[in-house]
Amino acid sequence: MEVQYEIQGGDFSTAGQASSEIKKLLKQFNIDPQIVRRIAIALFEAEVNVVAHAYKGIMKADIEPESIRVIVEDEGPGIEDIEKAMEEGFSTASEAVRQMGFGAGMGLPNIKKNVDEMILTSVPGRGTCLKMKVLF
Amino acid sequence: MKQYTYTHAIQIDADKCIGCSHCMRVCPTEAIRIDGGHARIQSVRCVDCGECFRVCPQRAIYVKDDGLASVKSSGYRIALVPSIFIGQFPSDYSATRILEAVRQIGFDDVFEVEQAVDMVKSEYRHLENEIDQRPAITSFCPAVVRLIQVLYPSLTDQIIRLKAPHDIAALYLRKSKERQGIPPSEIYIYYITPCAAKIVAARDPVAEKESPIDGTIDMKIIYNLVSKIIREDKSSGLHKSYANMSPDSVCWSLSGTEKKYFSGRSLAIDGMNNVIEFLDKLESGQLAHIDFLEMRACDQGCAGGILCPCNRFLAVERLEQRQKKLEKLKLQNEGKVTNMLFEFSEELHRELQIDAVEPREGLQLDEDMGKALQKMKHIKKLMTFLPGFDCGACGAPSCRALAEDIAQDRASISYCVFVQRVMEKNYKLSPEQSFSVIEKIWGQNRLNKYTDENES
Repeated sequence: MEVQYEIQGGDFSTAGQASSEIKKLLKQFNIDPQIVRRIAIALFEAEVNVVAHAYKGIMKADIEPESIRVIVEDEGPGIEDIEKAMEEGFSTASEAVRQMGFGAGMGLPNIKKNVDEMILTSVPGRGTCLKMKVLF
Repeated sequence: MKQYTYTHAIQIDADKCIGCSHCMRVCPTEAIRIDGGHARIQSVRCVDCGECFRVCPQRAIYVKDDGLASVKSSGYRIALVPSIFIGQFPSDYSATRILEAVRQIGFDDVFEVEQAVDMVKSEYRHLENEIDQRPAITSFCPAVVRLIQVLYPSLTDQIIRLKAPHDIAALYLRKSKERQGIPPSEIYIYYITPCAAKIVAARDPVAEKESPIDGTIDMKIIYNLVSKIIREDKSSGLHKSYANMSPDSVCWSLSGTEKKYFSGRSLAIDGMNNVIEFLDKLESGQLAHIDFLEMRACDQGCAGGILCPCNRFLAVERLEQRQKKLEKLKLQNEGKVTNMLFEFSEELHRELQIDAVEPREGLQLDEDMGKALQKMKHIKKLMTFLPGFDCGACGAPSCRALAEDIAQDRASISYCVFVQRVMEKNYKLSPEQSFSVIEKIWGQNRLNKYTDENES
């Protein structure tokens, strides 16, 4: 089953709505609650990345009997150096974003920790695409 | 699907219930539906928070306690009284006076629950460093514990595995009375409860094999009897000469005291909607670096309990006054508190742990993932036709809840009054059929009040 939600860049006040909606759906299945929790955390981090760095984005989730696949695609500045972006503590977030409590450089490593598969691709100047998979 | 039975104190009197749906609209877990003219509660989802009880205009929702009749006619009978009960009476009466009046009703002994709070505080000092699942959530409020089991299953392992004060107090009483030579089989403990959830907690505790409490009594009943006694004899009563518990323990059941006993970032959250809003964010991973959550389902904590007759703000103020009095006594005794419970602290310490709290399956569409996915797709499709008004005329609290009920074969699309109009227009449903659908939900005689004659 597929669902998709739009994410507005820069709108920190509503950040988390898309991931929360997907979490709500997952709670209705017989999935280990701790797996649902891991997915929720990964999706929230991914959503915040779009809000903090991109102009706009979309979160698409496909729920299947054994797994969930989620694609988070955005239009934005993209990532210059993906390897570097995956390092804990590395962040390009602006001072304003850090003031709001985001941009600690833990987002991508935290996503990696919580999902079973993760593919991050980006075209600098165009946008970023994050694909994640979690097995139930 | 696994079938569990859940004990509940919240009940509906079908003779009084007119199916007005006020309760259905406020239930935080969407556990209520209107069917056959009456409200019905789904056992797996009900957390006994009592929000429905507060809004019922017919007083058809009641709280089933064990009652005074359950108190044995012989044996050693002890009443466990929460501090909030004492806060129901003007400060002119001493706590000793109020407790004595409770004893006069027909108990051999009375004990204030909050004395056991001192034990919880000392447990927190040990536990603090051992808990790595943060934030730790207090097990104090049984409605919150059950809410987490139903709506936030991934957070159940963050609930602190510690007995609630009423349980600890009951354990202490059994031990100390036994030492005094009273046979264990002769000791009966009755808990005067401020809410429905505490009744359920005493009757059927979560993550504990059995309860040390023999019966529960609605606080209002004891309030009425004590009020009568103190009206007839207006003496203010004796005052204690020492503090029998640490002063702020009397305010533990309110909001904001418990959080002070867990170091780091601790938050106190009271009121069902506030608790839900916070847990939702927490479960989504939106909140980090919080160490402790003190949560109370009722606004102002137990002062807002549904069985507390007195205004909650007055009760809070009285308990604060009492805390000050105890602080004075403590000062007079060189800062010493004499809490008898600590004579048994080592023995109690060994018995205070509870098992892990398990989630309930209240939200699950189906145990089988494939079937659940089919149902979810059906719900998604239904949501595209339903109006999204959440009018409740279908007997479900929201369009989404109706869609779920349809997917679960518990309702039909024709329950929606908007869909009915379209079906009638397209000759899919006759006016008689749609009338019978409404009668099925709202009851046979519900619509008889209206006739063409009384229109003019």
